[in-house]
Amino acid sequence: MGMDKSWKRFFTLACVLIIIVLIATGLGLDHEDKEDSPVQGFLEENYEEMGADNLVESVLLDLRAYDTFGEVIILYIAIAGVIILGKEMKKANYEKEEVEGKDEGGDDG
Amino acid sequence: MRSPIVRTAARAISPFLFLAGLYFATHGFLLPGGGFQGGVLLAAGALLILLTHGREKVIHLEEDIDWFETFGMVVFLGAGLAGIFFGGAFLYNMLPGTPVWCITLDIVIALKVFAGILALFIYLFGLEGVK
Repeated sequence: MGMDKSWKRFFTLACVLIIIVLIATGLGLDHEDKEDSPVQGFLEENYEEMGADNLVESVLLDLRAYDTFGEVIILYIAIAGVIILGKEMKKANYEKEEVEGKDEGGDDG
Repeated sequence: MRSPIVRTAARAISPFLFLAGLYFATHGFLLPGGGFQGGVLLAAGALLILLTHGREKVIHLEEDIDWFETFGMVVFLGAGLAGIFFGGAFLYNMLPGTPVWCITLDIVIALKVFAGILALFIYLFGLEGVK
Protein backbone atom coordinates (compact mmCIF):
# COMPACT_ATOMS: atom_id res chain seq x y z
CA MET A 1 0.00 0.00 0.00
CA GLY A 2 2.35 2.66 -1.24
CA MET A 3 1.66 6.32 -0.83
CA ASP A 4 1.11 8.53 -3.82
CA LYS A 5 4.14 10.58 -4.87
CA SER A 6 2.28 13.88 -4.73
CA TRP A 7 1.12 13.07 -1.15
CA LYS A 8 4.71 12.37 -0.15
CA ARG A 9 5.77 15.72 -1.57
CA PHE A 10 2.89 17.42 0.23
CA PHE A 11 3.83 15.88 3.60
CA THR A 12 7.50 16.77 3.19
CA LEU A 13 6.55 20.34 2.41
CA ALA A 14 4.20 20.44 5.41
CA CYS A 15 6.93 19.12 7.73
CA VAL A 16 9.44 21.69 6.51
CA LEU A 17 6.88 24.48 6.93
CA ILE A 18 6.04 23.36 10.49
CA ILE A 19 9.73 23.22 11.40
CA ILE A 20 10.26 26.73 10.03
CA VAL A 21 7.25 28.06 11.95
CA LEU A 22 8.42 26.41 15.20
CA ILE A 23 11.95 27.80 14.89
CA ALA A 24 10.61 31.27 14.09
CA THR A 25 8.30 31.08 17.12
CA GLY A 26 11.19 30.03 19.34
CA LEU A 27 13.32 32.91 18.11
CA GLY A 28 10.45 35.32 18.61
CA LEU A 29 10.02 34.54 22.33
CA ASP A 30 11.35 37.16 24.70
CA HIS A 31 13.85 35.82 27.20
CA GLU A 32 13.63 38.67 29.69
CA ASP A 33 13.38 37.92 33.41
CA LYS A 34 9.80 37.97 34.55
CA GLU A 35 9.29 39.43 38.01
CA ASP A 36 5.76 38.04 38.39
CA SER A 37 6.63 34.46 37.47
CA PRO A 38 5.36 31.88 40.00
CA VAL A 39 8.81 30.26 40.01
CA GLN A 40 10.30 33.54 41.19
CA GLY A 41 7.91 33.63 44.14
CA PHE A 42 8.61 29.99 44.93
CA LEU A 43 12.36 30.58 44.98
CA GLU A 44 12.01 33.58 47.28
CA GLU A 45 9.44 32.26 49.74
CA ASN A 46 8.81 28.51 49.65
CA TYR A 47 12.18 27.07 48.66
CA GLU A 48 13.59 27.43 52.19
CA GLU A 49 10.50 25.80 53.69
CA MET A 50 10.97 22.61 51.69
CA GLY A 51 14.26 21.90 53.50
CA ALA A 52 15.62 20.21 50.40
CA ASP A 53 18.96 21.10 48.88
CA ASN A 54 17.91 19.76 45.52
CA LEU A 55 16.06 22.57 43.78
CA VAL A 56 14.60 20.32 41.08
CA GLU A 57 13.14 17.94 43.65
CA SER A 58 11.62 20.72 45.72
CA VAL A 59 10.01 22.23 42.63
CA LEU A 60 8.76 18.81 41.55
CA LEU A 61 7.14 18.02 44.90
CA ASP A 62 5.87 21.47 45.87
CA LEU A 63 5.30 23.84 42.99
CA ARG A 64 4.65 21.08 40.43
CA ALA A 65 3.18 18.51 42.82
CA TYR A 66 0.05 18.27 40.67
CA ASP A 67 2.25 17.29 37.74
CA THR A 68 3.88 14.51 39.76
CA PHE A 69 0.48 13.38 41.00
CA GLY A 70 -0.79 13.21 37.42
CA GLU A 71 2.19 11.11 36.38
CA VAL A 72 1.49 8.70 39.20
CA ILE A 73 -2.18 8.45 38.21
CA ILE A 74 -1.28 7.79 34.58
CA LEU A 75 1.06 4.97 35.62
CA TYR A 76 -1.62 3.53 37.91
CA ILE A 77 -4.28 3.51 35.21
CA ALA A 78 -1.92 2.02 32.61
CA ILE A 79 -0.95 -0.80 34.94
CA ALA A 80 -4.54 -1.41 36.01
CA GLY A 81 -5.37 -1.91 32.33
CA VAL A 82 -2.52 -4.36 31.84
CA ILE A 83 -3.45 -6.32 34.97
CA ILE A 84 -7.11 -6.57 33.96
CA LEU A 85 -6.10 -7.72 30.47
CA GLY A 86 -3.65 -10.24 31.92
CA LYS A 87 -6.14 -11.78 34.30
CA GLU A 88 -8.84 -11.99 31.65
CA MET A 89 -6.50 -13.65 29.15
CA LYS A 90 -5.21 -16.07 31.78
CA LYS A 91 -8.79 -17.05 32.58
CA ALA A 92 -9.63 -17.44 28.90
CA ASN A 93 -6.56 -19.63 28.32
CA TYR A 94 -7.45 -21.74 31.34
CA GLU A 95 -11.01 -22.27 30.11
CA LYS A 96 -9.78 -23.13 26.62
CA GLU A 97 -7.37 -25.70 28.02
CA GLU A 98 -10.11 -27.16 30.14
CA VAL A 99 -12.37 -27.55 27.13
CA GLU A 100 -9.66 -29.11 25.01
CA GLY A 101 -8.55 -31.36 27.86
CA LYS A 102 -4.87 -30.46 27.64
CA ASP A 103 -2.66 -31.08 30.65
CA GLU A 104 0.49 -29.31 29.47
CA GLY A 105 1.25 -25.67 30.28
CA GLY A 106 -0.52 -23.13 32.46
CA ASP A 107 1.26 -24.21 35.64
CA ASP A 108 2.33 -20.75 36.74
CA GLY A 109 0.42 -18.73 39.23
CA MET B 1 19.38 -15.55 27.30
CA ARG B 2 19.71 -18.33 29.88
CA SER B 3 23.43 -19.03 29.55
CA PRO B 4 25.37 -19.44 32.84
CA ILE B 5 27.41 -16.33 32.12
CA VAL B 6 24.33 -14.14 31.81
CA ARG B 7 22.70 -15.70 34.86
CA THR B 8 25.77 -15.21 37.04
CA ALA B 9 26.31 -11.64 35.85
CA ALA B 10 22.66 -10.80 36.52
CA ARG B 11 22.88 -12.27 40.03
CA ALA B 12 25.99 -10.16 40.66
CA ILE B 13 24.59 -6.91 39.27
CA SER B 14 21.06 -7.09 40.66
CA PRO B 15 21.91 -6.26 44.34
CA PHE B 16 23.84 -3.20 43.27
CA LEU B 17 20.87 -2.02 41.21
CA PHE B 18 18.67 -2.42 44.29
CA LEU B 19 21.18 -0.50 46.39
CA ALA B 20 21.44 2.29 43.82
CA GLY B 21 17.65 2.45 43.60
CA LEU B 22 17.24 2.76 47.36
CA TYR B 23 19.99 5.38 47.45
CA PHE B 24 18.44 7.49 44.72
CA ALA B 25 14.98 7.18 46.24
CA THR B 26 16.00 8.18 49.77
CA HIS B 27 18.50 10.89 48.82
CA GLY B 28 16.33 12.61 46.25
CA PHE B 29 16.15 15.76 48.36
CA LEU B 30 19.95 16.16 48.43
CA LEU B 31 21.24 14.78 45.16
CA PRO B 32 20.06 14.28 41.59
CA GLY B 33 17.54 11.48 41.44
CA GLY B 34 14.21 11.02 43.11
CA GLY B 35 11.28 8.70 43.46
CA PHE B 36 10.75 7.85 39.80
CA GLN B 37 14.39 7.16 39.05
CA GLY B 38 14.88 5.15 42.23
CA GLY B 39 11.75 3.11 41.57
CA VAL B 40 12.80 2.36 38.01
CA LEU B 41 16.23 1.20 39.22
CA LEU B 42 14.59 -1.09 41.81
CA ALA B 43 12.36 -2.50 39.11
CA ALA B 44 15.39 -3.01 36.84
CA GLY B 45 17.04 -5.10 39.55
CA ALA B 46 14.03 -7.38 39.76
CA LEU B 47 13.60 -7.45 35.98
CA LEU B 48 17.16 -8.73 35.50
CA ILE B 49 16.27 -11.72 37.66
CA LEU B 50 12.96 -12.14 35.82
CA LEU B 51 14.63 -12.13 32.40
CA THR B 52 17.50 -14.43 33.27
CA HIS B 53 16.05 -16.84 35.83
CA GLY B 54 12.56 -17.12 34.43
CA ARG B 55 9.22 -15.84 35.55
CA GLU B 56 8.87 -18.33 38.41
CA LYS B 57 11.47 -16.51 40.53
CA VAL B 58 9.43 -13.33 40.59
CA ILE B 59 5.87 -14.60 40.20
CA HIS B 60 5.34 -14.99 43.95
CA LEU B 61 5.53 -11.19 44.17
CA GLU B 62 2.48 -10.92 41.92
CA GLU B 63 -0.06 -10.40 44.72
CA ASP B 64 2.28 -8.17 46.76
CA ILE B 65 3.02 -5.72 43.98
CA ASP B 66 -0.67 -5.17 43.36
CA TRP B 67 -0.90 -4.09 46.99
CA PHE B 68 2.27 -1.95 46.78
CA GLU B 69 0.75 -0.14 43.83
CA THR B 70 -2.50 0.57 45.64
CA PHE B 71 -0.67 1.45 48.87
CA GLY B 72 1.48 4.01 47.07
CA MET B 73 -1.53 5.56 45.37
CA VAL B 74 -3.52 5.74 48.62
CA VAL B 75 -0.64 7.27 50.62
CA PHE B 76 0.02 9.88 47.94
CA LEU B 77 -3.67 10.74 47.78
CA GLY B 78 -3.90 10.76 51.60
CA ALA B 79 -0.93 13.12 51.88
CA GLY B 80 -2.57 15.41 49.34
CA LEU B 81 -5.91 15.35 51.15
CA ALA B 82 -4.23 15.90 54.54
CA GLY B 83 -2.78 19.08 53.04
CA ILE B 84 -6.32 20.35 52.51
CA PHE B 85 -7.20 19.91 56.20
CA PHE B 86 -3.93 21.10 57.76
CA GLY B 87 -2.58 23.59 55.25
CA GLY B 88 -5.44 24.74 53.09
CA ALA B 89 -4.42 23.37 49.70
CA PHE B 90 -4.17 20.02 47.96
CA LEU B 91 -0.64 18.55 48.30
CA TYR B 92 0.33 21.34 50.71
CA ASN B 93 3.71 20.95 52.43
CA MET B 94 2.64 20.31 56.03
CA LEU B 95 6.09 20.32 57.66
CA PRO B 96 7.89 23.47 56.50
CA GLY B 97 11.60 23.67 57.22
CA THR B 98 12.19 19.92 57.21
CA PRO B 99 12.74 17.58 54.27
CA VAL B 100 10.19 15.08 55.66
CA TRP B 101 7.68 15.87 52.92
CA CYS B 102 10.23 15.28 50.17
CA ILE B 103 11.53 12.06 51.69
CA THR B 104 8.06 10.62 52.32
CA LEU B 105 6.77 11.36 48.84
CA ASP B 106 9.99 10.12 47.24
CA ILE B 107 9.81 6.78 49.03
CA VAL B 108 6.11 6.39 48.24
CA ILE B 109 6.66 7.22 44.58
CA ALA B 110 9.65 4.85 44.41
CA LEU B 111 7.59 1.99 45.88
CA LYS B 112 4.75 2.70 43.48
CA VAL B 113 6.91 2.95 40.38
CA PHE B 114 8.80 -0.23 41.39
CA ALA B 115 5.55 -2.13 41.82
CA GLY B 116 4.04 -0.66 38.69
CA ILE B 117 6.85 -1.42 36.27
CA LEU B 118 7.43 -4.88 37.73
CA ALA B 119 3.71 -5.67 37.46
CA LEU B 120 3.69 -4.39 33.89
CA PHE B 121 6.49 -6.76 32.89
CA ILE B 122 5.24 -9.75 34.87
CA TYR B 123 1.79 -9.52 33.29
CA LEU B 124 3.06 -8.75 29.81
CA PHE B 125 5.42 -11.74 29.90
CA GLY B 126 2.54 -13.78 31.28
CA LEU B 127 0.42 -12.87 28.28
CA GLU B 128 3.08 -14.04 25.90
CA GLY B 129 3.58 -17.31 27.75
CA VAL B 130 7.29 -16.81 28.50
CA LYS B 131 8.47 -19.45 30.90
